[in-house]
Amino acid sequence: MFYLTRMLGRPVVDAAGEVIGEISDVAIATGEVFPRVTSLAFLGPTKTPFMLSWRKYVSTIDDEQVVLNAERQDLRFSYLQPDEVLLARDLLNKQIVDTQGMKVVRVNDLKVSESRGQLRLLGAEVGMRGILRGLHPSVERVVAAVTRLLGRELPENLIAWNYMDLLDRDLSHVRLSVTHKRLHELHPADVADVLEQLPPTQRARVFEHLDNVQAALTVAELEDEFQADLIDDLGDQRASDILEEMDPDDAADIIGDLPYDKAEALLRLMGVKEARAIRSLLGYKEKTAGGIMTPEATTVSDDMTVQEVIDYLRTGAVEHETIYYIFVVEDDRRLEGVISLRDLVMSEPSTPIAALVNREVITVGPDDDQEDVAETISKYDLLAVPVVDESGRLLGIVTVDDALEVMEEESAEDLQLATGSSSEQGPVASIWWWLVRRSAWLVIWAIAFVVFVAVRGPVTEMAPGNPFRGPFAVGLEMAVLALIMLPVLLRTAEELSSRTLAELIEGDTENGHPTVTRRLAREGVVGVVAALVAGVIALGLASAAPGTEQVAVAPFALVTAVATLVTVLIAGLLGHVALKRSAAGRRVSGTGLAVTAMAISTTLYLLLAFASGVLWVATLVAGLD
Amino acid sequence: MKRRVPLLALLAVIGPGIITASAGNDAGGISTYSVAGARYGYMMLWMMLAITPSFIIVQEMAGRMGAATGKGFAALIRERFGVRPTFFAMLMLLASNAATTVAEFAGIAAAMELFGVSRLISVPIAAVVVWVLVVRGSYRDVEKVLLALSSVFIAYVIAAFIARPDWGDVGRSFITPRIIPDRTFIALSIGIAGTTIAPWMQFLLQSNIVDKGIAMKEWALARWDVMVGAAAANLIACFIIITTATVLHPAGITIESAGDAAQALAPLAGPYAELLFAIGLLSASILAAAVLPLTASYAVCEAFGWESGLDRSWSEAPLFNGLYSFIIISSAAVILIPGLDLIAIMLVSQVINGVLLPFLLIFMMIIINDRRIMGKHVNTRVNNVLSWGTITVVIALTAALLVMTVLGIG
Repeated sequence: MFYLTRMLGRPVVDAAGEVIGEISDVAIATGEVFPRVTSLAFLGPTKTPFMLSWRKYVSTIDDEQVVLNAERQDLRFSYLQPDEVLLARDLLNKQIVDTQGMKVVRVNDLKVSESRGQLRLLGAEVGMRGILRGLHPSVERVVAAVTRLLGRELPENLIAWNYMDLLDRDLSHVRLSVTHKRLHELHPADVADVLEQLPPTQRARVFEHLDNVQAALTVAELEDEFQADLIDDLGDQRASDILEEMDPDDAADIIGDLPYDKAEALLRLMGVKEARAIRSLLGYKEKTAGGIMTPEATTVSDDMTVQEVIDYLRTGAVEHETIYYIFVVEDDRRLEGVISLRDLVMSEPSTPIAALVNREVITVGPDDDQEDVAETISKYDLLAVPVVDESGRLLGIVTVDDALEVMEEESAEDLQLATGSSSEQGPVASIWWWLVRRSAWLVIWAIAFVVFVAVRGPVTEMAPGNPFRGPFAVGLEMAVLALIMLPVLLRTAEELSSRTLAELIEGDTENGHPTVTRRLAREGVVGVVAALVAGVIALGLASAAPGTEQVAVAPFALVTAVATLVTVLIAGLLGHVALKRSAAGRRVSGTGLAVTAMAISTTLYLLLAFASGVLWVATLVAGLD
Repeated sequence: MKRRVPLLALLAVIGPGIITASAGNDAGGISTYSVAGARYGYMMLWMMLAITPSFIIVQEMAGRMGAATGKGFAALIRERFGVRPTFFAMLMLLASNAATTVAEFAGIAAAMELFGVSRLISVPIAAVVVWVLVVRGSYRDVEKVLLALSSVFIAYVIAAFIARPDWGDVGRSFITPRIIPDRTFIALSIGIAGTTIAPWMQFLLQSNIVDKGIAMKEWALARWDVMVGAAAANLIACFIIITTATVLHPAGITIESAGDAAQALAPLAGPYAELLFAIGLLSASILAAAVLPLTASYAVCEAFGWESGLDRSWSEAPLFNGLYSFIIISSAAVILIPGLDLIAIMLVSQVINGVLLPFLLIFMMIIINDRRIMGKHVNTRVNNVLSWGTITVVIALTAALLVMTVLGIG
């Protein structure tokens, strides 16, 4: 077992025992699963590079040196062959794609083994071991010993040649063997995953090596944010070729994201038919049935027989995204009905299809919201749903895979609504926004403190003779206690708002929500219980608080209970308004909802507490008089 | 369909250079320049003039490497030199980065102390805020905020004019090299080199260029962004020195605290000088404290082939997440050591940057002159002469400082 990093720099000794240089590299033939080492590269005395055939000249190799079977003057030097790869130059320290793990990794070392007189490449070491060995072999030994003491094994992480693909394609001339699993043999979705791990320039370079069909499938699988960038970076001809290969709906999505000039240029380079299909889709708004449909529906007329339809499928519909539904249309493309592939296959070839047609077709309109379309597909368990205009003409179909994507998108949007982060504001704005939202109650609490301090100043500076001084001071004492209790109310308001939000996300808006009165009644029960609990806590707090003898314990508890109840009701009311707005199709901000509820509740509570203190003193004074 | 006007083509490549360069005017930078001005008056201005071409050229080289190869600096070091040199390069980067992050937290602590908040409170909170900013924030928008906030320091330009310096004297100082052979002066010179051409900035700039997908064909435009950004950042640095030299130096104030440094803005902001200074220092420090650990984390993972990226979870990318978290937490912890002199910490961090600078520049010089890597985009002779000149001078200064310290001279 040899490691390349250990081999490099070892002396090369000829048959006469004379050192003629040191190993600088070894080459492998790339045609096998475990490729043979075919050549030895070494640096001569004046740093001159030489190359020798391994098979002809190398007699033995061990940890110390390489011994040749000929003397210096008998050596015939060779050149790097087209199918050879130099391990140190082309692989060591480079990034490769692990086509099995679908990851981009860096080669830390290469492991070579000797079997039957031949040296073969076992694989690339991409784990921690290789790095440690690269630092110094003793470092590897020490760390391995330590981890063994801890009961773990320092694992070797090898990737075999047939699961590697090289990223730096200066080697693209190398003819790699059939057993070699290259990037372009992976599933397009996996290729897309790997591409997303690379920086843009490298991504474009790797992409250049995919053929148009593969490229088209891969682009379709990339996340939206990468698609337009990648196409934008490609040459116009290549980009338009790839878009042409794609399903028109996917291609239209990408073209819609490109700058206008680029989009026009690409469309002009395409075949007339494809360009027309894409242009027709670009006219529809994003996030509607029209925006996600493909115009490639398989259509037949109802005077055909089953056999004729099947023949048509074999010839005319090869490129269509789906052929499971065959739509029966009249001459003006008005949708008559639908037949499934199953019906066709199960029927006698001579049957006229008119007998099979299902005329109760579920359709959607081009301006329908994409979420509704997805729901329709899911509800009726369809593989595709036809999109028809007002006069019933078939415009295209939305397939189930597009529906799945829509659902994924929408659930991500719902999540954003719930967490209060929105990509439109940009991540930094959203991080602050997130902080604000998550700690909104804290911020409001802090603001309340600041306001309180600002108000307290003038009061404490009031002249001793001022008749308002006493009552105001007690009011402030009450307000301090209220400030301490405030988080309870704030959290209540926040909880209730997020519950409304959950209702907003999950609930379907058509079946309606409870009316205002019912909602308030429902919230009222919760509110009374919460108010009682808060009141009791307030009672405890006010009696236990040190230095607040002036404070009226009972009024404070009462005020707290009232404020809690009102908070619950307000949150419920605001939630109701929010649901109404949302049902009317307007945007609702979850954060706004919570903050409004909290702000109202805070103002109310503090004012009530202050007022109760003032009034209490006033009544006492009145009683004394 | 979106229409893009041609101007946006320019805007698309603008950013990395200007942003990186203004990020250099962070806590460490401001304090170094302020101390230089307060202590030595206009005396160090000639250094700024001398170092500006080097700074522009180093930034240009980093950007060119990114555009020509599509790879980060750390990846290139690894592919050109192998594991062992990479390990030392990464150690240096981490040292430079961690020292500067400590300086950023010192900046945060100093700014908050101007608001009357103890560092025992402000620093832990800042550490959490920065950490959350890193975990949840994304690069591009941090850039925008940075760009906006760096404009706060334009206040120094205005303040310099209001302070009415003797412009003749200022002008002469730019072209009269003067050196005082004592340790403070030499250390401060290294600090100025280190804060102007901070090692981490080259990593940040190059990875920005790579992330933006700027290739050689866009480089012609992006290069202007990089060079103008570098020049503009140094211009502001010069004005910081001019302002502090005009306001503080004659009054004999050598900066002991952030409050002293803030007084330089008094001609402009009067009683609000401290407020202005504190806001600028605080925002610059927080953002730099978020960007720096991330830069180091990305670079190290890139060099060793570890999973990286903010969209990776802890189990997917433990080393990436662990590294920046560790830098943030440990840097903040350093500031909590009782009785620490914050200004000194900020200065020392820049001296560390200065000492490490030449070594990372040597890596850069070898890579950028390697035709196998750079193709026809290798350095021109002017680039080479200036860069090797910078490397030699900074090494010489470091050696001088070392000798003086050992022999106890100055």
